[in-house]
Amino acid sequence: MKPFTYQRALSVDTAVAESSERCRLLAGGIDLLGELKEGLVEADKVVAVTRIPGLDTIEKKSAGWTIGANVTVATIAAHADLARAFPGLAAAARDVASPQIRHVSTVAGNLLQHSRCWYYRHRDVTCMKKGGDVCYAREGEHKYHALFTGGYCISPLVSSLAVALTVLDASVVVRGRGGERRLTMAELYAPAWDDHAVHHAIVPGEMLTAIEIPLAARRSAFVQASEKASFDWALVSCAVSLELEGGVVRQARIALGAVSPVPYRDERAEKALVGTRLDETTADAAAALLLEKAEPLPHNAYKVPIARALIKRALLAAATPG
Amino acid sequence: MKPIERSSGGAGAPAHVVSRRAFLRGLGTAAVTAAATSTAAVAAEMEKAGGEATVGPGEVPLEFVLNGKPVRTAAEPRETLLDVLRARFGLTGAKEGCDRGTCGACTVLLDGKPIYACMRLALEVAGASIETIEGQSLAGGLSPVQAAFVKHDALQCGFCTPGFVMTTTALLRANPTPTEAEVRRACSGHLCRCGSQPHIIRAALAAAGVATTTTSTADSLRHDHA
Amino acid sequence: MPEWPKDPKYIGKSTPRVDGAKKVSGAAKYAHDVQPEGCLYGVVLRSRWAAAKITSIDLAPALKVRGVKAAILVREGSRQVRYYGDELAAVAATSKRAALDALRAIKVVAEPQPHVVKEHLAARPDAPRVFAETPNTGAGRERKQGDPDKGFAEADVVVEGLYATQVEIHQPMETHGGVASFKDGELTAWHSTQGISGVRDGLSGALELPQNKVRVLGEFMGGGFGSKFSAGVEGLLAARLSQAAGAPVRLMLTRFDESLAVGNRPSTFQKIRVGARADGTLTAFSMESYGCAGYAAGGPSAGGSTNSGFPAPYIYRVPNFRTRHTEVSIHAGPAAAFRAPGCPPASFGIESILDELAVKLGIDPVELRIKNDPMELRQRQYRMAAERFGWAAKYRKPGSSSGPVKTGVGCAGSAWRVPGGGTQAEIEVSPDGSVEIRCGTQDLGTGTHTVIAVVAAELLGLTPADIQVRIADSRFPPSGASGGSMTVTSVTPAVFDVCTKAIEELMRTSGLADVRGPQWRAACRKLGVSPLVLQGRWIDGLSAAGTGGVQMAEVEVDTETGFVRVKRVTCVQDAGLLVNELTARSQANGGIMMGIGYALYENRVMDSTSGVMLNPNFETYKLPGIADVPEIDVAFMDLLERRVMGIGEPVTIPTASAIANAVANAIGARVTSLPITPDKVLAALGKVPGAARDNPHDAWMSLFATQPA
Ligand SMILES: Cc1cc2nc3c(=O)[nH]c(=O)nc-3n(C[C@H](O)[C@H](O)[C@H](O)COP(=O)(O)OP(=O)(O)OC[C@H]3O[C@@H](n4cnc5c(N)ncnc54)[C@H](O)[C@@H]3O)c2cc1C
Ligand code: SF4
Ligand code: FES
Ligand code: FES
Repeated sequence: MKPFTYQRALSVDTAVAESSERCRLLAGGIDLLGELKEGLVEADKVVAVTRIPGLDTIEKKSAGWTIGANVTVATIAAHADLARAFPGLAAAARDVASPQIRHVSTVAGNLLQHSRCWYYRHRDVTCMKKGGDVCYAREGEHKYHALFTGGYCISPLVSSLAVALTVLDASVVVRGRGGERRLTMAELYAPAWDDHAVHHAIVPGEMLTAIEIPLAARRSAFVQASEKASFDWALVSCAVSLELEGGVVRQARIALGAVSPVPYRDERAEKALVGTRLDETTADAAAALLLEKAEPLPHNAYKVPIARALIKRALLAAATPG
Repeated sequence: MKPIERSSGGAGAPAHVVSRRAFLRGLGTAAVTAAATSTAAVAAEMEKAGGEATVGPGEVPLEFVLNGKPVRTAAEPRETLLDVLRARFGLTGAKEGCDRGTCGACTVLLDGKPIYACMRLALEVAGASIETIEGQSLAGGLSPVQAAFVKHDALQCGFCTPGFVMTTTALLRANPTPTEAEVRRACSGHLCRCGSQPHIIRAALAAAGVATTTTSTADSLRHDHA
Repeated sequence: MPEWPKDPKYIGKSTPRVDGAKKVSGAAKYAHDVQPEGCLYGVVLRSRWAAAKITSIDLAPALKVRGVKAAILVREGSRQVRYYGDELAAVAATSKRAALDALRAIKVVAEPQPHVVKEHLAARPDAPRVFAETPNTGAGRERKQGDPDKGFAEADVVVEGLYATQVEIHQPMETHGGVASFKDGELTAWHSTQGISGVRDGLSGALELPQNKVRVLGEFMGGGFGSKFSAGVEGLLAARLSQAAGAPVRLMLTRFDESLAVGNRPSTFQKIRVGARADGTLTAFSMESYGCAGYAAGGPSAGGSTNSGFPAPYIYRVPNFRTRHTEVSIHAGPAAAFRAPGCPPASFGIESILDELAVKLGIDPVELRIKNDPMELRQRQYRMAAERFGWAAKYRKPGSSSGPVKTGVGCAGSAWRVPGGGTQAEIEVSPDGSVEIRCGTQDLGTGTHTVIAVVAAELLGLTPADIQVRIADSRFPPSGASGGSMTVTSVTPAVFDVCTKAIEELMRTSGLADVRGPQWRAACRKLGVSPLVLQGRWIDGLSAAGTGGVQMAEVEVDTETGFVRVKRVTCVQDAGLLVNELTARSQANGGIMMGIGYALYENRVMDSTSGVMLNPNFETYKLPGIADVPEIDVAFMDLLERRVMGIGEPVTIPTASAIANAVANAIGARVTSLPITPDKVLAALGKVPGAARDNPHDAWMSLFATQPA
């Protein structure tokens, strides 16, 4: 790490005023320190945001739940009321990395973490995402890479919480120098779909302050498949939410993680479920629709059958009272 | 192991440092050592005193509670907690196995919870309580967790051991009678290349007084064929 | 002939590690932890190119960085680099930060050259050469026995297969390196090593210092697994930096460096044919194989890259065989000895094809092995293991368990034969009765401290706690390196010898008929004021070589996600005369855990375009974690008459093979290369659209196309 100065922000205003290309916001630091140590990003200054008062609470209001940006992943995983309301979110939080990481990582840091593509993370490789002119992964080692992308970079979104929050119709509250804006999860990641240079929509000078989840009579579930039994990235993850009425689907959301630069959804798959009763057949049909546009490469085609299985499992789990 | 006391920042030291130190002195060792509440109090006071001053990039004074005792040192903003513990305090029990938050060898407790010291800027722990392996075997003897690790041979080369001991200690404080699955979950952020995990599970459960597990069984069949 | 006590009190029982308290309390000082007064921090600059001519390296900017005390080149003048990560220069500074700042300031001018980092591409005639003067594939070596053609002609069935194993990296939790300190022309080196004498000799040779001016220490070390026998480039750089800076220097590799440059288990590609009679009796075996030890040619100890290090058809009795093994070089870090060099890859090939044969013949895999295994002891182990494991009830037709999550079982055997020897030891008995044993061996976590204490306590009639064990100092009587599972077989006879001599001497000086146990203190008091110091050495007849073992594994495979979970492993291991059961059990568990990593997770991934290693970290070079631990059942055959044997290596050999066979048994299709990851499981099941079942094989087959068999 090159030398930098350090400031502990005690208000969102300070963080927003300071934040820039050369001044990074520091939450749990798991992602940022990794990047600084490898020299992937450089900072003249680091502004710690975790002591800003009021951003570390989980509140239930009439319109919905608000999760402060500084709430840790461990807190989400252990929050009993939240888990009852959104089992999928709790399940996703429980599987993030390791206890040591969950204890310090914040929900904002998790959502805004950068690419994990091993070329991007390599100190001596300069790919498109880092300003170079080729994507090494496409012609090279892409077993962990995306099946869907609108651009050329195939680095997938890896935040588990992003996937879980997507199906809850959550939005993020973002403070900038000019004021506040709200983005849906889709909007938060939309720029990464076809712009290889970015990871998400938050720009220097902005700070994510909260996540809002609307109240709805939904069931949710999250499942992931990895190579190891724990402390391993998802090869594919899948979150679903369902509104059921007498066993019949009224509304469905399905999002996939680790297969696209964004939480991957396809409305056709979700609509196809509406009016049906969930069983192996309907779930599998939805899975097939969701995966229809996959563009597998030689080493990542295996993610297609995994995704298909996970979609089915997540749907059936959410549909089963428990 | 005596912490090395460094003189703080010199001419450029921000004003809040003085009040922090004054605060710690005022609080007295006993109070700081006592409990988490005093740690929280230290944090609150320091925030007030510290304000939002920009510090560094050179060495900045830093105070926190280390193994129950308030300590003072100085660190550059880019120094990690692990580097500060090892290089500035000479506390080498926490190891650097990866320096990237993937192996757990550097695990210490931050306000009672296991964290990777290699992935924490030292300045981030200002006012907090840090516990390292050196603080575990107080009064000369081994803690119950440590004793169980020795008894059940939950170690081979021992390089990963301090980290596992810290995590197990935190687990048993929060959950005195864990199940085997809970032990596995709690320790999932640690690697052990010697493959001591089966005995680590056994030791953790034994330290909790939980009936021993099925994870590793053994027989020695002396003179089985003669 | 000397003999071990018949009715031991400590030998074969479980004594907790005598150094355990130090390790659990953070008091144990590894090389990583040693901080002499004024110690500097050393770092290594490595090549960013897989192949390049380095024309100049400018250290001047580094020397200008505040806190930097020395900067040196690994080699003067222009030079060739042959892999990403090759050492170029080193810096010592007062802090880690200053050292890393300096590293970034060094200017390297290089002429990059074409590289090749994949084995099958390196074997092409037009591939960039690793060494300009020689092709990337060697001449190959043949071994032959009997008449293979006749053997195949006599066979009722012939099976063929192509099996591949990956590059596995040692990844000890403590990286390579150490602390070097010069004082008055003498060098003291605290080194993380498996062989203090070798390090001493290496440093004294390279630095042209007399051997008596170099002292190497390493009481605690954080694992080596075969990769830490020498001082290494990093050890030498630490010493040279210390000379240049006039201060002690601590140079421990980063995990990144560790993954690139200090050794690995070579990859192998094995095209095997086996012929057998209808009753399962093997008649012929042929194998054409390639091994890749990175850029280095790889000697026998590199394992898997030469015939001597690549045993095939491994443990089985085949009257007629022909093998041809060829080395292939790529622009990648070099191989080093790795726990049971050559054996795990060789085992994977033969054990896989034996299971194919068993299926084809409709014979139980265990029966097939018993039939063709020449070692009577191992035949018995198969029966014992089968009973403990419940094999008969568990073994079913491949792929026949119902539901999407399928279970399966597999087995494999192992052999290891490296005899001990060449150790001297010293005992000092003080008039107050205290005992110190000194020996220039080392404890890699294998329990050497404890084993010495146990043996001495047994012979002297004391308790292990009474024995002060001092090892890992090159000033102590020499012992060999700790490799080949020969520490216990080398050290215990020497300890036996000094203890026996001490007893004889004490009987003489004290006039007592028995000086052991209760008489010990009284006898020692008779020594007067000076302690008794005696030397001894390894003696024949107390230790032996030639252990055997078998393992059985049960796995669960999710055929929808390809996820494999090892449920159970049973290990029956001939341990000779077991010295300390508790620590031996740890070793067996450790061997099995390492085998699980080899079977399911670990793999060095090289990138063709850039020539870099993509996963020099624990995030994507995946080691098994605590959640991956199966139920493990270890049974040692503790056989006094077989004398002391080492088990550290044999216990890891058959694990991956047994798991691979269990996976094939579960899903009814075989993943023919390690590691067995979900992508390969799904491909083997034919579930990956567009992927051939044997996808990777197409690439590997080109290896075999380059040279006629
Ligand atoms: C080995 C390993 C395995 C992992 N496995 C998983 C996994 O399975 N699932 C998963 O989801 N994650 C996983 N992670 C990633 C890990 O969870 C994230 O790195 C972590 O959650 C990031 O949170 P943080 O608080 O530490 O972020 P930081 O590193 O502090 O911040 C991350 C980024 O967000 C910016 N930032 C932080 N807070 C704000 C804010 N409020 N407003 C604007 N910008 C902000 C920072 O500047 C930085 O760029 C893994 C990581 C490792 C090392
Ligand atoms: S996938 Fe994206 S991040 Fe990875 S190499 Fe290609 S451009 Fe770079
Ligand atoms: S050294 Fe911190 S996790 Fe490995
Ligand atoms: S005991 Fe050696 S790494 Fe765990």
